[in-house]
Amino acid sequence: MSSSSLLSSQSAISHKDKVAALAPDNFTWHGYSALETQWRVERLLSRYVACIDDDALEHWPEFFVAEGCRYEIITRENVERGMPLALVFCNSQGMLVDRIVSLREANIYPQRWYRHIVSNVLIQAVAEDHLEVHSHYVVLQTRRNGQTSIFSAGKYKDRIVFQNGELKFAEKRVVGDTHSIDTLLVSPI
Amino acid sequence: MSSQCSDNYTGKAPAVWPAKVNQIPKEVFGDEALFEEELKKIFYGDCWHVVGHFAEIPNAGDFKTFDLGRVPLLISRGKDNQVRVFFNSCTHRGNQLEVATSGNRKEFECPYHRWLFSLEGALTACPGSKEFAPDFKQENFGLMEVKSAQFMGIIFVTMGKNTPPLTEWLGEIVPPTLSTLLGGDGRLKLLGYQKVRYDSNWKGYNDNDGYHAPMLHTAFRLLNWQGGTTGFQRMTKNGHVVFEAELKAIQNNGFVNDPSLVEFKGSDPAKGSRIVQFFPATVMVKHLDIINLRFAMARSHDVTEVHYAYFAHEDDDEAMIQHRIRQSSNLLGPCGMISMEDAAIFQRIHIGNQTPGFAEFQKGVTSLSEIPMDVKQNDETGNLPRWEHYRKVMGFKREGEK
Repeated sequence: MSSSSLLSSQSAISHKDKVAALAPDNFTWHGYSALETQWRVERLLSRYVACIDDDALEHWPEFFVAEGCRYEIITRENVERGMPLALVFCNSQGMLVDRIVSLREANIYPQRWYRHIVSNVLIQAVAEDHLEVHSHYVVLQTRRNGQTSIFSAGKYKDRIVFQNGELKFAEKRVVGDTHSIDTLLVSPI
Repeated sequence: MSSQCSDNYTGKAPAVWPAKVNQIPKEVFGDEALFEEELKKIFYGDCWHVVGHFAEIPNAGDFKTFDLGRVPLLISRGKDNQVRVFFNSCTHRGNQLEVATSGNRKEFECPYHRWLFSLEGALTACPGSKEFAPDFKQENFGLMEVKSAQFMGIIFVTMGKNTPPLTEWLGEIVPPTLSTLLGGDGRLKLLGYQKVRYDSNWKGYNDNDGYHAPMLHTAFRLLNWQGGTTGFQRMTKNGHVVFEAELKAIQNNGFVNDPSLVEFKGSDPAKGSRIVQFFPATVMVKHLDIINLRFAMARSHDVTEVHYAYFAHEDDDEAMIQHRIRQSSNLLGPCGMISMEDAAIFQRIHIGNQTPGFAEFQKGVTSLSEIPMDVKQNDETGNLPRWEHYRKVMGFKREGEK
């Protein structure tokens, strides 16, 4: 049996593609130097995870562009096998809002605290209208019994744009090395 | 008034169950020794177990591994396009042959002494064989095959000596719902997995009932999915349960900002929800345009691992595939907005049942002595034939029974 267009269009990653290109040391982006851009990107990421960890989730959709955003949590296992299924997949601002309304109003789950650690922030590519940024994340989870464990480890693959003086995510792809979920996944990563 | 417990609590499952058929001794969930008995009598016994679907390994050389209890299995599609299930163990010294969960191979090589097996299971090379034991014959050392059978691509295995034929074990009421659930013919295309570990006994995982859906899942109410009138729940005496339920198109009540997520593009809107629960632990669901097979592994008395596999149909166009990906990535399963509560319940069922007394079934009970076989869609009594089958397979007596 032949594989479909769906699967072949996202075929497994070859080794030579594994080292991603890196942006040059010096560039200017919307008037910012490379150093300033790096700082603004890191601040965006820090504010983003603070929003989740501090349970200000009603503001989480605001980190994304209003039109045509894409947010996805997908396992590295599915990605490396060329499979498109995600754990969470939103491709409209309305879907982001629905996720938060659902966890606030509809879903029943034990309270858990998330703590994100983000590092290794690399601007991989600079284009006129966007940046490609990769970073590493770890989410620590503290259960009601007070014990803390690693809930998810993986990589953020972000497409960041400059809109009305602010940096926003046009696309945020969370690729989790962790593919055995501990019971359930409620909050965004 | 509160109820009282008279006997000393031991946490051990009692050998004799109450005469009342709607009472299940709670100890069956947390008894570690009982799990060892279940492995022998159910998982390694005269019962069929779902281990995968053909669509997970569509091409020659594709394989997946799976565990039946603690027994490692290797499921391989040969060059002849046949799917075979082997014990995942080298026939030499028993080394685990394949460690990946899935992939594609030209052959299977045991790294320990470089014994080489074909995709069809034959031993094709074994270095130094001139000095092997006098009775060694290479043709006798092919991979050991596990008895398997299939229904529309669902792969069933059994290690029992007296397991009835698959068609007999499925019975009459399962195949019609199951075939619709599988898109009519089982010609599916794998979209991917969501894998989850529940801190729950496998019986707690598979004890979800018809009563809970509109109660537990607030989203069902918010989306105005309350069962409808054309649905049903049917059971077999050997513990399978089949549901069909109506899912009315949602009226936008302001709850959903992007209602395109819950659109129904399939061909049978009158029955938007179909569920098949196999004894002992496999659940399959078609909900809206989601096709979801849940491959469950009983890891221990308190851990159940479930691989939620999602599928499209081979005849889908690109728009339908994208729609299925979107629904599958958001609604059901351990991250799904409309039913993630189940995950929390599995854990609470497990913790809460480490207490004296009985799990008490109520909704739909009309007799305390007869196992109900005719129940309504939102009754919880549909689970009692499964518990009765479990009791008999495990050899528990009922009070007053000889």
